[in-house]
Amino acid sequence: MLQTVWLIPLLPFLSAVLLMVTAGRMPRPLVAMLGAGSVGLSAVVVLLFGMQFMQAPEPYTLTLWSWMRVGDFAPQFSFYIDQLTLVMMAVITGVGFLIHLYSTEFMEEDSDYSRYFAYMNMFVAAMLILVMADNLLLLFLGWEGVGVCSYLLVGFWYKDPANGAASRKAFVVTRVGDTAMALGLLLLFTELGTLQIQPMLDAANNTWVSGDTLPALAALLLLGGAVGKSAQLPLHTWLPDAMAGPTPVSALIHAATMVTAGVYLIARTHGLFLLAPDVLLLVALIGLVTLLLAAFTALNQHDIKRILAYSTISQIGYMFLALGVGAWSSGIFHLMTHAFFKALLFLGAGAVIHCLHHEHNIFKMGGLRSRLPVAFWSFLIGSAALAALPFTSGFFSKDPILISAFEYHGSIAGIGPWLWVGGLLGALLTAIYSFRLVFIVFFGEANTEPDRQPGWRMAGPLTLLCVLSLFGGWFALPLASVFPAESAHHPSMLIEGISISIPLLGVLVAWLVYYQRKVSVSRFTDSPTGNSLRQYWHSGWAMDDLYDNLLVKPFVGVSTLLRGEPVDKVYNGIVGVCQLVHRGLSESQTGKMRWYATSMVFGLIALITFLGWGI
Amino acid sequence: MMAAASQALLAPLVLSVASLALMMQIAFRRHSYTSWVITCLTLVLSMVALVPMSKLVPLQVTPLLISDQYSLFFSLLILFATLITALLAKDYLQHRAGENEEFYLLLLLSSLGGLILVSATHLASFLLGLELLGVALYALIAYPERGHLPLEAAIKYLILSGAASGILLFGFALIYAALGTLSFVGIGQQLTQLELAADRQLLVLIGTSMVFTGIGFKLSLVPFHMWTPDVYHGAPSPVTGFLSTVSKGAIFAALMRLFIDAQLYHYQGLMIALSVIAIASMLAGNLLALQQSNLKRLLAYSSIAHLGYLIIALVVYGALRQPQMAVEAAGFYITAYIVTSLAAFALLSMLSSDVRDSVLGNDAEVDDIDHIRGLFWRQPILALMLTIAMLSLAGIPLTIGFIGKFYLFAVGIKGSLWWLLAALVIGSGIGIYYYLRVVFAMSMKPQDSDQVLVVPAKLTLAAKLVICILIFTMLYLGVLPQPLMEYLGTVTV
Amino acid sequence: MILPNLILVLLVGGALAWWSERFDSSWPRLVALLVVLADLSYLLSSLTTVPLENFALVPVAADPASWLMSYQLNWIPRFGIRFELAMDGLSLVLIVLTLVLGAIAIVSSWTEDNQRQGFFQANILWTLAGVVGVFLAMDLFLFFLFWEVMLVPMYLLIAIWGHEGKAHASMKFFIFTQFSGLLMLVAIVVLAILQQQASGIWSFSYFDLLNTSMDSTVAGWLMLGFFIAFVVKLPGFPFHTWLPDAHTQAPTAGSVILAGILLKTGAYGLIRFTVPLFPEAALEFAPIAMMLGVAGIIYGAVLAFGQSDFKRLVAYSSVSHMGFVLLGVFAWNALALQGAVMQMVAHGFSTAALFMIAGALQQRMHTRDMNQMGGLWQQMPRMGAVALFFVLASLGMPGLGNFVAEFLVLLGLFQVNPWMTVVAALGLITAAIYSLIMMQRAFYGKPDDSRRLTDFGSLEMTAMAVMIIALVWLGMYPQPVLDLVQPVIDSLAVEVPLVAERGVSVGAVQ
Repeated sequence: MLQTVWLIPLLPFLSAVLLMVTAGRMPRPLVAMLGAGSVGLSAVVVLLFGMQFMQAPEPYTLTLWSWMRVGDFAPQFSFYIDQLTLVMMAVITGVGFLIHLYSTEFMEEDSDYSRYFAYMNMFVAAMLILVMADNLLLLFLGWEGVGVCSYLLVGFWYKDPANGAASRKAFVVTRVGDTAMALGLLLLFTELGTLQIQPMLDAANNTWVSGDTLPALAALLLLGGAVGKSAQLPLHTWLPDAMAGPTPVSALIHAATMVTAGVYLIARTHGLFLLAPDVLLLVALIGLVTLLLAAFTALNQHDIKRILAYSTISQIGYMFLALGVGAWSSGIFHLMTHAFFKALLFLGAGAVIHCLHHEHNIFKMGGLRSRLPVAFWSFLIGSAALAALPFTSGFFSKDPILISAFEYHGSIAGIGPWLWVGGLLGALLTAIYSFRLVFIVFFGEANTEPDRQPGWRMAGPLTLLCVLSLFGGWFALPLASVFPAESAHHPSMLIEGISISIPLLGVLVAWLVYYQRKVSVSRFTDSPTGNSLRQYWHSGWAMDDLYDNLLVKPFVGVSTLLRGEPVDKVYNGIVGVCQLVHRGLSESQTGKMRWYATSMVFGLIALITFLGWGI
Repeated sequence: MMAAASQALLAPLVLSVASLALMMQIAFRRHSYTSWVITCLTLVLSMVALVPMSKLVPLQVTPLLISDQYSLFFSLLILFATLITALLAKDYLQHRAGENEEFYLLLLLSSLGGLILVSATHLASFLLGLELLGVALYALIAYPERGHLPLEAAIKYLILSGAASGILLFGFALIYAALGTLSFVGIGQQLTQLELAADRQLLVLIGTSMVFTGIGFKLSLVPFHMWTPDVYHGAPSPVTGFLSTVSKGAIFAALMRLFIDAQLYHYQGLMIALSVIAIASMLAGNLLALQQSNLKRLLAYSSIAHLGYLIIALVVYGALRQPQMAVEAAGFYITAYIVTSLAAFALLSMLSSDVRDSVLGNDAEVDDIDHIRGLFWRQPILALMLTIAMLSLAGIPLTIGFIGKFYLFAVGIKGSLWWLLAALVIGSGIGIYYYLRVVFAMSMKPQDSDQVLVVPAKLTLAAKLVICILIFTMLYLGVLPQPLMEYLGTVTV
Repeated sequence: MILPNLILVLLVGGALAWWSERFDSSWPRLVALLVVLADLSYLLSSLTTVPLENFALVPVAADPASWLMSYQLNWIPRFGIRFELAMDGLSLVLIVLTLVLGAIAIVSSWTEDNQRQGFFQANILWTLAGVVGVFLAMDLFLFFLFWEVMLVPMYLLIAIWGHEGKAHASMKFFIFTQFSGLLMLVAIVVLAILQQQASGIWSFSYFDLLNTSMDSTVAGWLMLGFFIAFVVKLPGFPFHTWLPDAHTQAPTAGSVILAGILLKTGAYGLIRFTVPLFPEAALEFAPIAMMLGVAGIIYGAVLAFGQSDFKRLVAYSSVSHMGFVLLGVFAWNALALQGAVMQMVAHGFSTAALFMIAGALQQRMHTRDMNQMGGLWQQMPRMGAVALFFVLASLGMPGLGNFVAEFLVLLGLFQVNPWMTVVAALGLITAAIYSLIMMQRAFYGKPDDSRRLTDFGSLEMTAMAVMIIALVWLGMYPQPVLDLVQPVIDSLAVEVPLVAERGVSVGAVQ
């Protein structure tokens, strides 16, 4: 049974190829069956595989073929499965299947039905390869593969140039990170002689000591890749725009799976990061700053998907924070629960949008509680988990992160509590913005009437995800053998109490402001400072403008400047000189004999003078 | 002795006798076809005559002439070029008014001058050959009696060439005054053996300058090149081809013999002067041709450049450990140049031979680049010939011109003439442009507005023969040059 | 006799294709296609006569048996010039590429409305013959001959069947390549003469010239002569300016051949001649050469982004991609060299396909201006999908050949010069920028419903499928190609020791 692991990525891949080759000539039910079924089948294989694997949980390697071999450089096409991989595979195929199923209804009216599923299947295959790869090069293949699929799906509705711009932005910005990561691969191979992850980590441990420059550099470069893919500062700007794609895409790629690839990468190579404690601290700081910035921004959005996008950035920030403070399994745990509740939220949002004539603005919704009960409950549960209200899955995963942050003893002494305070502030904001969304969309006056109700293929996955979001945190992940032991948590009751009560406080604030409308923020937001701050947050701290002015405009400017090919000027100059001389010499051909004769005489004189010179 | 001498000079003798016979024929019965046949037969016969001549080489016949491999080789080239000219002339003259018989006579005389030039070992025979060649040419250039262009060209050439010959002659006199000898070898001995007094040295110096001015004019080297385009343009196409090949080839051959026998390569100053002239010719020739749209003028400029290239072989002679290679290179390059130029002028002459009903007018010449636009699609075989010729002039492989250029590179590098080589490279680079422009024009789609286009209704047998011979030679020697190389290896001065 | 036959078949086939026009104007392309396929199958079938273990042999100059095939004939004894052909793994890979792309080029001209099909196809076949000759010639004189001669039919292709600016473009192409060729000719002759002065015997044979001794200044100049000729063809910055013009103006088949095959002769020359003939000089020059490579990568990418002409954009992307080849060659270690060769092959396919698409667009829309396109996916989904694939290939998507190539080059380069690698890696980002903008402008965006455009037909799709399969194969299992080339690299390493593979830069990165 273990040997059939190659089936897991192959099934969706084959389905994708089939869908591409037939290019829309297949009947829709068949497309749906193939598209969702292949992922479902993969999920089944993962389940069977997992059951057998857990009986004797030893890392399992399967080599399919030797990819290429030049001297020492011999990456294989092979898979490495341990508990971490298994968790990721389960999330990808499980949540992936639910989203595919949901899509079969959501996308039903789209003319490019089969193209959609081709891309989606391709994505799942690439994502699986990413997590299953036993060497960094194969991981990079999956890494780029998911990037491309993301590009294709964000720009799925290609007729609108804005979608195209968003998809290009998504690809190019992440490519910046990917390039750093590629350089990291080059460095790692050059210094350690292999890209196979486990041997490489061993070699790193043997060659380098903690705190060396080289491991720090390598970790930093990998971090670049992770930051890009996981939409962390400073490469996070693409994710909000990426919401241009169909909503299930946002759920699958931009919430549940791809954007967490960075977290996975760092977790996978934690051996390297442990050799670079400063970089690890940087990871934590990036996570913290990102989660705060994104939370503030989420507070000010009115597009339902953008709120969720910023919320995703923020939650991944928590995961980075977890990784940075060494709470490896908590990070991965949060990754999983986040996949549940964020997929739920996105799909719920999708249901709202789907039933509301593609309306995205939350202020045009309202009062949907009774009109779209499925969406309401999804949102309520999802938001509760997102806000980490007690006993939801989000609570079980986020709470340990905050505790670990509090107890962090890293390169800078005493920074732990500060990280904790930051995390708490974030948690407060999370609760506020998520329940702001719930109150505005589902309570109050109804502005728009839904024209339909979600069918079973949408409602079913939503229900399942509701269950997972509620109870998905009740069991522990079997990650102990993958990561180094974490210090046992013995938080004081006070700390624990604060951690629990902060989200509740946030819900209360949201309730007061957005439901009861007892407290008005308009006095603050209407003041000049408040207004500009709101604008500033709304634009995501104006990062887009910054990059636009710093990078995009200069690049476009330079390329416009050069498009006429300045190098050619040199050659044209040579041609010009030749023509000039040609014209000059042609002038001398006057056709007048006396001039010809004169020139001959001059030539003679010159000859005599020259020859006489020597005497 | 007498028998041996006449055997050794069989080809010039055949030509002389035939010239007389032709004169008689014209006197008694004008018939241009007969004259043409006689001319062609004579030329073939003289070529055949080279075979018995080769049995006796080398043989000094009187102090004036020598019959050796060198002279035989160049004689063959001259006769070959004359034959092609004669073949072309028939079609060319056919529809033009006037009596054509004398044309052939002049042609024979002129080539006789060429033969004498290449066997000359004495300044007297040198001058004799030069003038015989030249005087006949004046008349040839002016031969078409209508139209002012040929006349103007002939007069220009006559006067300027006369002046050049005068200067040359005066140079000879000065050298004689200083050294007391006119034979090439004698001059060399005098120059190397004697410590010359200062005044005599001055005489030699001025004399040499004058000689080179005269020869430079005939070879149209910068700065004595001014006449070239005008005369090329005005002369009838077959004659231009003759002028460009026979005249220049023979004079260069004679110059080379003078140069080597008189050991002029010992003189640093002269070498530098020649190098400067060569470089100037290469650059100026190519630059002048750059945007020229008249094909004859273009070829005139191109010939200036090619003679400049050729000077490399001359200059390098003294610098080589085995100077024979320079002669070999010169021999090959001249062959390439002659064959290729002939091909180019042959095309122009064929196109011009049947212009009766065209827009251009009855006696017009087809010589503009616009005239050959789209030729590829109407007369592919003609276009092919010109394409090969242009590629050969540009020195593209598989053509004879490439091997020629390769030779020049080889000797130039052996002699470390880096400046000349640089000019050769730059000149060739510029050259590609205008040679290709011609090819490009031929490849363009013919447009309705191009009524100017003239196509010979049908190629005559002679034309076909010429085309075949020239294409074959250009390609054969470009692909399999070994036989000619081997032969040239035996050609010594 | 197999090797000369390979060339001969193409030469004669060209004449045959021309001649067949008198029967029907659709015959030439059929004849041409058959000739190329026959040549290809002839090559492949004759390979079966080579013992399998020979493919792993390191070719040695002195031993003809160590080469896959070789052929010799005295030609011009006066200068010791021989008609000397030999094939090793590198030549084999490139010749197969040449013939496959040649067939594809002919297919690409299938629906194009070219007048005088006969001469057109003849020129294509003759160009191919010249290129095959370049890849086989082991006598430098012969090499030069093929080098120059292949340009003539290519020139005619552009000059006769090109687009509006063909006069200028074809001329520029020819002058650039010829002029640089002259420099190489001088260098070749100097080299032969040096060798002749040392040994007393004329020879232009690569094997005889390999170990010519000369002082370093001379070697430097000669190396430069070869280098410029090859870099112009490659094309490397700043000698690339002929390429955008030539590509833009050439007919589709011309662009396919030019980009897919002709550019590779430059890279081949660098690997085969420049470095082995002048090892010290080349290695001394390597930093500058690599700098030019990096400059080409970035410059080509920036300019590609600025173009609105579809073909011009692809042309500049070639400049950028071939920069990697230059880098790979001058990094001179096994990884980088393998990468360079892989890039030659992969770029051959990806760019050829993009030019085919450009040609198809031009033929359907009568414009190459991307501002007038947009939303073409709607009307031509098949072409769009194919374009998407090759765009992804060209931006270095892992799993496709171009990625393997670029990664190997970067990996090799990193061990030699990490900082330059960092700059070169920026090319990965810029490639994404210009490739995606092309996709956007042409195929995405609002479709113009008034257009009636026919999608790719089955013939075109077959050609595309061949290239897609080739790229996927190169990306997923490039080992056969690597194995073919490895002995060649080993043999080069005998002449010029490879730059140290590892541990060079421990200090340098810090």
